[in-house]
Amino acid sequence: VSDRYSRRELLGLAATGLLACRADAGRAEGPVRRPGVVGIADLAAAGEGPSVEQGRAALERALVAATGHDSGPEAVRGLFTADDVIGVKVNCLAGRHLSPRVELVEALARLLVAGGVAANRIIVFERSSRELERAGFEIRRSGGPFRCFGIDNDWDARPSVEGSIGSCFARLVSEQCTALVSFGVVKDHDLAGVSAGLKNWYGVIHNPNKYHDNHCDPYVADVARHLRRKLRLTVLDGVTAQCQGGPAFHADGVFPLARVAVSTDPVAADAWAWAEIDAERGRRKLPTLEQDRRAPRFLATASGYGLGVGDPARIERVKA
Amino acid sequence: MNRREILGVAAGCAACAAVPGWLAASGLEPGRLVDPEDLPAREASWYKKLGGKKVECELCPQGCSVADLERGTCGVRENRGGTYFTLVHSVACSVHTDPIEKKPLFHVLPGEQAFSFATAGCNVECKFCQNWEISQFRPEQVRNLYLPPASLAEAAKRAGARLTAATYSEPVVFWEYVRDVAVAANKAGLRPTVVSNGYIEAKPLRDVLPLLSAIKVDLKSFRESFYVEQVRGHLQPVLKALEVIRAVGTWLEIVVLLIPTLNDSEEEIRDLARWVKEHLGSEVPVHFTRFHPTYRLTNLPPTPVRTLERAWQVARAEGLQYVYLGNVPGHPGESTTCPGCQQVLIKRVGYRIQANNLRDGKCPQCQREIPGVWE
Repeated sequence: VSDRYSRRELLGLAATGLLACRADAGRAEGPVRRPGVVGIADLAAAGEGPSVEQGRAALERALVAATGHDSGPEAVRGLFTADDVIGVKVNCLAGRHLSPRVELVEALARLLVAGGVAANRIIVFERSSRELERAGFEIRRSGGPFRCFGIDNDWDARPSVEGSIGSCFARLVSEQCTALVSFGVVKDHDLAGVSAGLKNWYGVIHNPNKYHDNHCDPYVADVARHLRRKLRLTVLDGVTAQCQGGPAFHADGVFPLARVAVSTDPVAADAWAWAEIDAERGRRKLPTLEQDRRAPRFLATASGYGLGVGDPARIERVKA
Repeated sequence: MNRREILGVAAGCAACAAVPGWLAASGLEPGRLVDPEDLPAREASWYKKLGGKKVECELCPQGCSVADLERGTCGVRENRGGTYFTLVHSVACSVHTDPIEKKPLFHVLPGEQAFSFATAGCNVECKFCQNWEISQFRPEQVRNLYLPPASLAEAAKRAGARLTAATYSEPVVFWEYVRDVAVAANKAGLRPTVVSNGYIEAKPLRDVLPLLSAIKVDLKSFRESFYVEQVRGHLQPVLKALEVIRAVGTWLEIVVLLIPTLNDSEEEIRDLARWVKEHLGSEVPVHFTRFHPTYRLTNLPPTPVRTLERAWQVARAEGLQYVYLGNVPGHPGESTTCPGCQQVLIKRVGYRIQANNLRDGKCPQCQREIPGVWE
């Protein structure tokens, strides 16, 4: 009875089980090219405000480290085709002080273009154009190194049911984009524990406020599962990170992590963010997220779905 | 226009009454479409401040603990730097004039019109929500009309309504607006009513009930498991709210939407009827209404009429005096019958009154007093 076990869901569960088994067996099949591998580039030399050129160099190193390809453009070609329309979801909730830097986003766009993707096929987006502007992005529907605009309430007409969520997804994600990149930040989240690459996808559903109980578990994983066929890459701007007081910007929780991280495994990218946040919390004599009873449980759920590796102890950090 | 858009605006509502002080500086005109982000947010009335710029909402049993820049489950209340704000005071997304029978409130001014309004948002998520296109969205995701309480009351009078009704989505999430509309409506000689899920804490409920003429509560099931799985809420807080309403004395009617296989067992209906009789009294009207597939619950058929009829029989057998059927136009179960002599007192077909035989709130045949709000 009810919509709990529809035929579609049963098929989905069966598929999930198969994929989970595959992930457990360590095979790199499906959308995750290299499960558990996170490429990390140091940006300490650039200070708090890396230029586009510095950002591009760092991102390319991290991308190469994450994918195992010989060069950035080659890695791009391994993940995307020239026909893809790539949606880059940035998380600008915290405003200019703790959103992905415009320079780094532009650096990614340039890297994609170098790999053969036309600039007008790259769409950087957030929930609303206002949020993008507050974070320093310029709204443009054509021209420039990438297109940039908000979802601005253009939702699917009907909700999609995926596990525990029932949400209208942004039509931009459902219909326009053929590939997706999560471009998040590294920050503490009062309820979810960590807001990095996966939680960023709450911005593409119309009703995220319904899914914050139980530390956002399994909802974050359910949203990501819905997007799995399009989700190719996660990029985290860790130049400045926040270990306490999130998801809003709070100056006393901020620290200079001075890194960018890239992974084809969205779960591993978040596991890395979790480890970095906990490391800083340790330096400050704060309880770990686990001790604070808000560890990001959704990572284990996402891992169980076969979306990637959620245990920080099992991820492979490849320094670029 | 779809439901997400304005359902309709009564003519003349732009003719504004006094603009409240907190909005006076905005220069907004009542009756105009508005982006909620352009409105100065209003501090919420029922919450407490926690440390670290966090707040805890005390309006409904969700009891949301909300960090800075985040919203509660309802999606219409936001923490801004440690102060909690409602984003929907005076921001209506649906406005329409309906017969009071549509709410349904069958014992309140039969045949009169209710000036009905809603904002975006809801504090639960029923998988069978008929109005999900506004209740499950945030205020900035729907089209909104700036309609402060005094202007709303004036628009209601111009529309010929004798009542106002906070309805469509979930009035609990715009409770400050409900309160202020009720004050304005009473002042204008209107009767304010509310259509709610009853998922509200006792204090805010008690604060507003004395201002209302009537309230209809959806008791969605008599099983906790249903509330958890289908509603994302809990049963006990609703039962508690129903008891508070009866204790305060505001006129109450209950609606139970019967959904095939989920909440329509004879045992559950019997339990529900017994509880209503024991805790609220046998004079509280109970409406069993017909489910139609919608939103996330599209894999079940409409409720068979015989299921509704069986529920009617069970509830009557348990001693409830005013049991009705809904969403079955023309069925005898829509009409009000005297529990004493079985005379048909108010004959309804759909939302229309075909005959009203009540005399001063009494049965003309046996003189039995029929409870309700008749004047």
